[in-house]
Amino acid sequence: MTSVRFVFGGKVVALDGIDPNMTVLSWLRTKVNKIGTKEGCAEGDCGACTVVLGELTQESGRERIRYRAVNACILFVAALDGKQLIVVEDLRQADGALHPVQQAMVDLHGSQCGFCTPGFVMSLFAMYRSEGQPDRARVNDVIAGNLCRCTGYRPIVDAAMAAYDGGRADQFSRRERQTVELLKSIARTETETLALEGAGRRYFAPVTEDALADLVKAHPEATLVAGGTDVGIWVTKHHQDLETVIHVGGVRDMDFVREVDGSMEIGAATTYTDAVHAIAGQYPDFGELIRRIGSVQIRNAGTIGGNVANGSPIGDSMPGLIALGATLVLRLGKQKRVLPLDQFYPGYRQTALKPGEYLSAIRVPLSQPGRHFHTYKISKRFDQDISAVCGAYCLDIAGGQVTRARVAYGGMAATPARAPQCEGALTGLAWTEDAVPVAMRALAQDFAPMDDMRATARYRLAVAQNLLQRLYLDIEGGAPTVLAPEASGQGMGA
Amino acid sequence: MAPKPGSFSTSIPYEEKKLKIVGTEPADRPDAVDKVTGRARYAADYNLPGQLIGKVLRSPHAHARVLSIDTAAAEAVPGVKAVVTRDDFPDMAVEHAASGELMINFKDVTRNMMAREKVFYDGHPVAAVAAVSESAAKKALKLIKVEYEVLPHVIDVEAAMQSDAPILHEDQFTKGVDPTPEKPSNIATRIESKLGDIEAGFDQADLVIEREFRTKPVHQGYIEPQASIANYTDGGQVEVWTSTQGHFVFRAQIAKLLQLDMSKITVTAAELGGGFGGKNNVYLEPLAVVLSRKSRRPVKMVMTRDEVFRATGPTSGTHTKVKIGVTKDGRITAGQAELNYQSGAFAGSSVPMAAITVFTRYDIENVLVVGHDVTCNRPKVAAYRAPGAPMIAFGVESVLDELAEGVGMDPVSFRLKNAAREGTQTHYGPKLGPIGFVETLESAQAHPHMQEKLGPNQGRGVATGFWFTLGKETSATLNVGEDGTVNVIMGTVDVTGGGRSALAMVVAEELGIPTEKVRVKSGDTTALGFNFMTAGSRGTAAGSMATVKASRDAIQKACEVAARIWEVETEEVVWEDGHARPASTNVGDFEPLSLADLARRAGALGGTIAGHAELDVAMGGPGFGTHIVDVEVDRQTGAVKVLRYTLVQDAGKAVYPKFIEGQFQGGAVQGIGMALNEEYIYSEKGTLENPGFLDYRVPVASDVPFINTEIVEVPNPMHPYGIRGIGEVPIIPPIAALSNAIYHATGVRLRDHPLSPPKVLAALDEAAPAIAAE
Repeated sequence: MTSVRFVFGGKVVALDGIDPNMTVLSWLRTKVNKIGTKEGCAEGDCGACTVVLGELTQESGRERIRYRAVNACILFVAALDGKQLIVVEDLRQADGALHPVQQAMVDLHGSQCGFCTPGFVMSLFAMYRSEGQPDRARVNDVIAGNLCRCTGYRPIVDAAMAAYDGGRADQFSRRERQTVELLKSIARTETETLALEGAGRRYFAPVTEDALADLVKAHPEATLVAGGTDVGIWVTKHHQDLETVIHVGGVRDMDFVREVDGSMEIGAATTYTDAVHAIAGQYPDFGELIRRIGSVQIRNAGTIGGNVANGSPIGDSMPGLIALGATLVLRLGKQKRVLPLDQFYPGYRQTALKPGEYLSAIRVPLSQPGRHFHTYKISKRFDQDISAVCGAYCLDIAGGQVTRARVAYGGMAATPARAPQCEGALTGLAWTEDAVPVAMRALAQDFAPMDDMRATARYRLAVAQNLLQRLYLDIEGGAPTVLAPEASGQGMGA
Repeated sequence: MAPKPGSFSTSIPYEEKKLKIVGTEPADRPDAVDKVTGRARYAADYNLPGQLIGKVLRSPHAHARVLSIDTAAAEAVPGVKAVVTRDDFPDMAVEHAASGELMINFKDVTRNMMAREKVFYDGHPVAAVAAVSESAAKKALKLIKVEYEVLPHVIDVEAAMQSDAPILHEDQFTKGVDPTPEKPSNIATRIESKLGDIEAGFDQADLVIEREFRTKPVHQGYIEPQASIANYTDGGQVEVWTSTQGHFVFRAQIAKLLQLDMSKITVTAAELGGGFGGKNNVYLEPLAVVLSRKSRRPVKMVMTRDEVFRATGPTSGTHTKVKIGVTKDGRITAGQAELNYQSGAFAGSSVPMAAITVFTRYDIENVLVVGHDVTCNRPKVAAYRAPGAPMIAFGVESVLDELAEGVGMDPVSFRLKNAAREGTQTHYGPKLGPIGFVETLESAQAHPHMQEKLGPNQGRGVATGFWFTLGKETSATLNVGEDGTVNVIMGTVDVTGGGRSALAMVVAEELGIPTEKVRVKSGDTTALGFNFMTAGSRGTAAGSMATVKASRDAIQKACEVAARIWEVETEEVVWEDGHARPASTNVGDFEPLSLADLARRAGALGGTIAGHAELDVAMGGPGFGTHIVDVEVDRQTGAVKVLRYTLVQDAGKAVYPKFIEGQFQGGAVQGIGMALNEEYIYSEKGTLENPGFLDYRVPVASDVPFINTEIVEVPNPMHPYGIRGIGEVPIIPPIAALSNAIYHATGVRLRDHPLSPPKVLAALDEAAPAIAAE
C-alpha cells in the first residue's frame, strides 16, 4: 500500500509519492489551493488551521461518522489515510446557505478581523455534529484551542450556543450514507500496512499490533508517532528531518480501554478524547486534568501512550499515573514485559525502552473504597497551557489515618517523579490539618526544582507545597471520588 | 507668515438630527460572510504565477558587529534565484516621519529591515533569499556565512539608562538636555511637560504618595503573521499585496527606502488579520521588492510566528515613577511622573504619546511629567492600541487608588471629584472640549456591577483611560452606479471588520438609501489621494468625515441632475429621504426623483453622480472610559481569576453599536491578557525565550468573563455625527483595574507587571510569610 487515501470534497483522493513530512495544512494551501484554512503559528497553539476529520464508528449498531477537530498544521497528510477531511470551504450548503455555525458567527458578530474565524467555525462545526446544546463551560472547553485576539470571545461563545438548532440538518447528515460507503471502500485490511517513501523519508502505518511490533523491531531507529502533537512541531517548528516514521495512531488493536485483572488497561494508541470518560469514571479529578491537557484539537489527536513514551518532564498524565501506581506493558517483537511507570524514566527525556521496543499499553489500578486521588495542574492560564507544576496524590485513609501515600510531581525535576520524603512523612500520620505542614516540610527535601521561563524554582516549590493544603481541603470537603454524573454514562466501554 | 499645521484641516461641526440608520445594526456584514466561509483573502492567500518564496536570515545575537557576509554558497543552491544583504539597499540619512502614532527615522528603518553595521537584537534580519521552494530557501539560509563580533548587550530599560551600560548607537547623544551631552547614551531623548508649580502643589497636599512601577514588553499578538507578495515588473512597475494598516504610508516608505517614484508603486492592503498598531511598519515589503527586482520573479514572504515575536513590534518595557498629592477632602493638588520607555533597537518609543496621557483624565493644576526614550537590544517597538498608555495608567491609577483609600473616599467618587471636564487645562497644551469622562464615571457608579457581593479573597478594582481621536489625511471616492447603488472606495484599512459596514451606514444615512445598497472597499494606492495609517482610533471617525464630504458632493451632483430634468436652478432642488425634491411649491409641482431615477438618467445629463474627498481631518474628540473588575485570588497558587468585568466608554456616537461593543470587549480582553500573563522573557544571552503562543500566553475563552459594556454618547463637536475614536481606550485601564482589585482582595499591591501567579504568590508570601518559607 503506497498511496494515502482519504475522502475529501465528496470523493476519494489517493496521493502517491507524498513527502511523509508534509502537513495537511501545507497540502491544503499549496497543493490544492484551499486557502480558507489559515496558518497562525504552525505549532498547534492557535487553532487557525483547525480542520475536522470524519471517521467510521459504530453507534447503536449502525455505522456512523464521528467528527473531530484537529490542527492541520501539525498533522501529517499520511495520517489522513482512511478518514474524511472537512475544511471550511466545505461547510456552505448546496443551496448556498451558510451552515448554522457560520450563520451564527455572522449574526452574533463572532468575526472581526476574521483570520481566526475558519478555525473557530471548524471547532464549532465538530461540536455541532457531535453534541447537544452546549453550555458556556462546554463551549469554553471546545474553543480553548482557538485563539482570537479581536473579539474577547464573548460573541463567539454566544454564536456557539445559538448555532445549535437541535437538528443537525446539514449536508453532512444528508450525505452520511454515501460518505460511510466511501470510507468503507478505503479502509485498509489487517495486512495492508501503509508504506510511503518520498523525499528521502520513509513512513509506515501498520493496522495491527503484530505488524507494528515487527516494524519497530526491524527499524529500531524509527521515530514512533501516535497523535504527532509533539513530533509535528519537531518538523514544522524545529525543522527536524524525520527519516523513518512509524505511525502508531492507526493500529486498531492498540486503541482500547478495557478492564484486566483489577486494572484499567489503556492501549497506547488511544487518544485522550477516547480515554477520558473511562478514566474520569474511576478518578474524576484525573478526568478533569485530562480535559486541561492541550486543547480539544490536541486531545483528539494526542494519546496518553504518546505522552508517557515521549518522556517530557512536564507531561501532564504522568504524575497522576505514577501516583496511582500505573504499570506499562512494553513489547519487543513478541516479547512483553511489565514495568512500573515510576521506573520508566532514567533521566531527562530518557526512557527504559530498549532498541526495537515500544509502549503497548498502560495499566491503571481501579479505584477502591478509602482511596483518595487528586491531581492539580498549575499553569499561567487555566486551559491549553504547559504546567509549571503538576501534582498528583493517592492516599489510602482508614480510621482517620493515612495507611499508604503515593505523591508524584511533574515540573519539579528532570523527569516526572515521586516524592519519597513526603510519602514517608504522610504514611502512618493521622489525617488532620496538622499533617499538612509535616508533609509540606518533607516535600522540600524531595525536590530542587529549576528556574525557567515558565516559573521560578521558588514558585514551583511553594506551589507544590501549597497544593498539599488544597489536597487536605479537597479530601475533607468531600470532593467527588466517585463517578461524576456526566462521565458515568460512558463507563469503561471500549 | 507660514500657515500653522492644521490651518487647512477639515472638521464639520456636529449636526443634531434624527437618524434612521446610524446607531442601528446594518442589514448585513458582507466581510463577515466571506470570513466564515474562508473566502476572505489575506496577504498570505495571494499567489502569483511563477512566484518565488522569500525567507529571512536573522541574527542569533542580541548585539554584534557584522564583520562580513558571504552568500556565495547560498547563491549556488539549486533553485535559489536571489540573495540580498545590506549591500542591496541604499543607506538613508536621518529623516523623520510619522508612521501611525509613533515616529520613524529612515536612517533606522533601513537598518531595521536589514542590518548594516551591527545587529541590535535577536531576530534582526541580516540577509534574505528567494528560491523556487521554501525548502531551497531554507537550505540557502543555512549556507550564508555571517561573521559577527559579539558585543555586550542590554535588555532592560533601567540597565540601559545606566552610564556604564553597553551603548547601542555611538552617535546617539541625549536630545532634550541642555547642553547636549558629549558622551553617547542609550537615552535618545528626554521630554518634559509642565503645568503650574509642582512644588507648591505638593505643599498644598495633606497626603503625598510616590511609587515605582515596572512593566514587561508585550506583543500585539495578531493571529495573522506578516505576509507580503511583491512583483517588480520588467517595465519597472512595482506591485505589492501586503498585511498592513496603511498601504499609502507603506508605499511612501518603500519609495523612500528603495529610491523609487511613488507613481511606479501600487500597494494593495489585503484583508487584515489583526494589527492593533503592530502592522504600522514595513518589515518584509522592501525585501520582497528587492528580491523580486533581482530575481525578475514575483516573491512571496510570510513570517513564521517565531519571526513575528522576535522581530516585529512589541510594546515598550517600562519603568515609571508616579507621585501624587491630595488634600484631606480628596482634591488632587499635584501630579508628577517619570516615564522611562524602551524603544528597542532604535529610538522612537511611545513615550511622547504616553507622556500626554498621564494625568489628562484629571483636573490638576500642578503637573510635571518627564519622559525618556531608551534604546536597548530588543526589537524596535511598535504601536499597540493606545501605545504607551496602559503602562503609565497602571502607575497613576494604582496611586490614585491608594490615595482614595487614604482620604477615605470610594475610588469612583474620588475620581469624579477630580475628573477632567470641558474647559480643563491639560498639562500638554490644549484645554479639553466637551468630553464624556464624568458621564462614564457616573454610569459606572450606578452600574449594577457595583452592587454585586464579594466573597473571601475577592476584590473590586476601578481604573480609567483616555485616548485621542486622530484625524490626518483621509481620502474617499463615491460612485453611484447606473442602478442607483453606491460604491465607496476608502483609503484606510478595515482593521476591525465592521469598519466598512460602519462607513456604509454613514453614507446610507447621508444619501437616504438602504445600507445594503452601499458597498465600501479599500482601494489600492493608485485609486485615491493619500491616506494616513489606520491608527489613532481614526478608522471610522476620520473615514466617515471623508465619506460624508463625498456623499454631500454626490448629493450636490444628484440635485444638479434633477434640476436639469426639471429645468430649474440647482439651488431650487433639495435632497430629502433619498430623493430630490423641489425646494418649495414655488419651484414647481414635480414628483420627487430617487437616487436610482437620477443615476439612470445622469449619463446624458452631465455624467456619473459621484463625490470625492481628499481631506486633512482635524484631530479632536478624545475618548474616555471607566472600567470595573472583580477578581478572586487563589492564595495557594497566586492565580487571579477575573470574575466580572464592566466597561463604560464615551463613543461620541455609536454608528454600529454591536461593532463598538466588540471593540470594547476585545480591547479589554487584550488588556486583561497584558495584565495577567503576557510578557517577553529573555535569556542571559539576550535571546527571546518565548517566541511562540506556547509560552507567550494570550487569553483563551475560559480566562475571561463576559465583558459587560455600556456606551455613553457625548457628541464630538468636531464631527457631523459626533463620532469619537473608540478602539484604543479599552486597553488602557485593565492592568491598573486588576492590580487595584487584587489589592482589595488580598491587601497586597503589585507594582511589577505581569500580575502573574509567581508574582502574586511571592507578594502574598512577603506580606504574610507562609509555612512555605519555614
